[in-house]
Amino acid sequence: MRNLLLASAAVTLVCTGTAQAADIAIGHLADLTGATASVSKPFAAGVADALNYINANGGVKGDKIAFETVDYSYQVPRAMAQYKKWTSESKLAAIQGWGTGDTEALVSSVAKDEIPYFSASYSGHLTDPQGKTSAKAAPYNFFYGPSYTDGCRGLVEWAAADWKKKGGKGQAKFVHMGDNHPYPNAPKDACGAYAKEKGFEILNPIQYSLKPGDFKAQCLSLKESGADYAYLANTSGSTISLLKSCETVGTKAQFMGNIWGMDEAGLKASGEAANGMTWVVAATTWADTTPGMTLVREISKLSDPSGKEERPSHYMRGICSAFYMKEAMDMATTMPGGVTGANIKAAMYKKSNWVPAGLEGVCLPSTWKADDHRGTTQVMVYQAAIKGEDVKMTKVYAAELPRRPEWLGW
Amino acid sequence: MISSSLIPCGQFKTSYAKDTTIFDTPVMRAWAVLSVLFLIAAPSFLNNYHLSILIQIGFMGIAALGLNILVGYTGQISLGHAGFFGFGAFASAWLNNSFGVPVVLAMPLAAVMTTVLGLLFGIPAGRLKGLYLAIATFASQFILEDFFARADWFSGGSSGAAAAPVNLFGYELSGDKGFFYVVLFWVVVMFLIGSNLLRTRDGRAFIAVRDHYLSAEVMGINLTKYRILSFGLSSFYAGLGGALYGHYLGFVSAEGFTILMSIEFLGMIIIGGLGSVAGTLMGTTFMVLLPEVMEGGVSIAKSLIGGDVSWLNEGLAYIKQASIGLAIILFLIFEPDGLIHRWRLGRSYWKLYPFSY
Repeated sequence: MRNLLLASAAVTLVCTGTAQAADIAIGHLADLTGATASVSKPFAAGVADALNYINANGGVKGDKIAFETVDYSYQVPRAMAQYKKWTSESKLAAIQGWGTGDTEALVSSVAKDEIPYFSASYSGHLTDPQGKTSAKAAPYNFFYGPSYTDGCRGLVEWAAADWKKKGGKGQAKFVHMGDNHPYPNAPKDACGAYAKEKGFEILNPIQYSLKPGDFKAQCLSLKESGADYAYLANTSGSTISLLKSCETVGTKAQFMGNIWGMDEAGLKASGEAANGMTWVVAATTWADTTPGMTLVREISKLSDPSGKEERPSHYMRGICSAFYMKEAMDMATTMPGGVTGANIKAAMYKKSNWVPAGLEGVCLPSTWKADDHRGTTQVMVYQAAIKGEDVKMTKVYAAELPRRPEWLGW
Repeated sequence: MISSSLIPCGQFKTSYAKDTTIFDTPVMRAWAVLSVLFLIAAPSFLNNYHLSILIQIGFMGIAALGLNILVGYTGQISLGHAGFFGFGAFASAWLNNSFGVPVVLAMPLAAVMTTVLGLLFGIPAGRLKGLYLAIATFASQFILEDFFARADWFSGGSSGAAAAPVNLFGYELSGDKGFFYVVLFWVVVMFLIGSNLLRTRDGRAFIAVRDHYLSAEVMGINLTKYRILSFGLSSFYAGLGGALYGHYLGFVSAEGFTILMSIEFLGMIIIGGLGSVAGTLMGTTFMVLLPEVMEGGVSIAKSLIGGDVSWLNEGLAYIKQASIGLAIILFLIFEPDGLIHRWRLGRSYWKLYPFSY
């Protein structure tokens, strides 16, 4: 009896969980409770606030964007089920997605259903829309920012300049550090090849878990290897632990983190252990005073009316991701068929070196082409200066990487 | 007039065949056949979301049944089931991509490969029991996870492997509707095999090993053989489930097959009922539906409160996760014997109505 009741309650709940009648329906996946929640939360907040702001200020040429933020706890089957739920309820115009897992799993589905997928996974192979160099084409995948590989290449360029400036003698030694996992491994080979090209000696990679822990053993290996530059490919949680362990061990290597590897909160948590670390940033920081920050502060007030919260750089990237999609939708309204997935994709190619209106100085100028989804190849390198409670981050380098054809999708 | 559709109140069976029958009455058999027929008709009136939930229940259920044979019937333990599940997914994609084996064949072949692997990793079971065995299987989980991320030739390493859709007689079964039938076919076949296995000599040996290994050995059952065999068999199920999962998603990534998934499989069989074939399916249904139902609840709450604001999203996400945990704990407190026990109680309540004890 009781389970009959339970079952019928379950069925009703499953059936009634529908999105509101939509002008333009999009999906928004986020990880608020899973393994990558620490960086997904600010990013997802950026996307959601930006979409709410767009709706409150005229929408897409008058049409509102109907969306629902769904937490999938970084579990691929849940992301899959949610995708099916969305697509069977209404025709989605686009999806704001999240990490490596959901993005990779949905590549072929979104291509078949013609739904542009704006991810926060920046794997190099997603930049190859026609499958020219990688095994699998990703025609409907877009992301704002440099790919993981390009980010690492930018750091390599900075390291080469830094080595020269410091007057280092002989060949500098470069090491890749990260978990043996799709996300940290994504830039490993390609970035190593570029470091070699730039005259570095490549050491054997050192593995450290994505889960924070005690990494003194890894720091000892790093010390023994005599590495001069260490690229940290994990997310910020484990990177903080690593920095702390290496401070105890006393390594001399210069640490360089990828785009999810360090942020404002991470610097505070690491304290002086992160002093001097450099990492990739692909949008402004909260303290910046570029013209676009006025709009960002307005957007931020939607979920923080006091305006006191200092948003990490991930938040700004979330806003950029949402606004590029919005401008493409604006352009799609004039196309035959209106705001459909295929038209949004076509609209993404219309402009070159563009920044969404109002966000000048916040988002890097980006260009997407039908055969090249590398939005931007510009890499900003920031360096931390930490003394006691005083945390500063300054831009030390901006790399403008060439769009080499053999780098597409790698 | 006593019809054969009623169960006599007492043991009046006169042959072993009657004792081991799967369906006690013809009515029950008719119900089982009817529900399969119902499922065959299902794609014509269900949408893709509901079908994808059923497909998930299907491939997870097959893998969970394998674990139930190992844990529920043979009394062993495995914390590495997700590793085998993943191996099946990669193996099937690998057979198809590298050797051009058609997907329909690659899936059972991948399951056979996983069986071999399971027999290998099951060897410690010949000597270890209880917690020690749990740790040994734990090791297999980590070995396999690391292998997936490293073996570029097999799994595509960090970039993962593409898995082609099922192609049958030149007709591509790629959408949910097509794939639903593939999964349904394997669910029916594997659950029939599972139920029948327990009526065989080997199946009875498994149960004997579980109930009292010393007595089993005295009766002439080769403990090592049956323990390892049970690992192999459970890996076959896991491998097939994994292969279906891989070809359904179209892409296999080393990221998904973590220890958490192994524990989720254990959760399915404990909630469904250890040592019950039907219970496995119920437990899987419960574990797959629970997050979806909770998500539905969250989305209703959002539409009631209004708006998609980030603090609300975060708050509701935590409530959702906590409720999933709470539901499982409450379940274990109030129904430790699993859903199948509740099902049997419910059935006897109706059968004996109004003269229950």
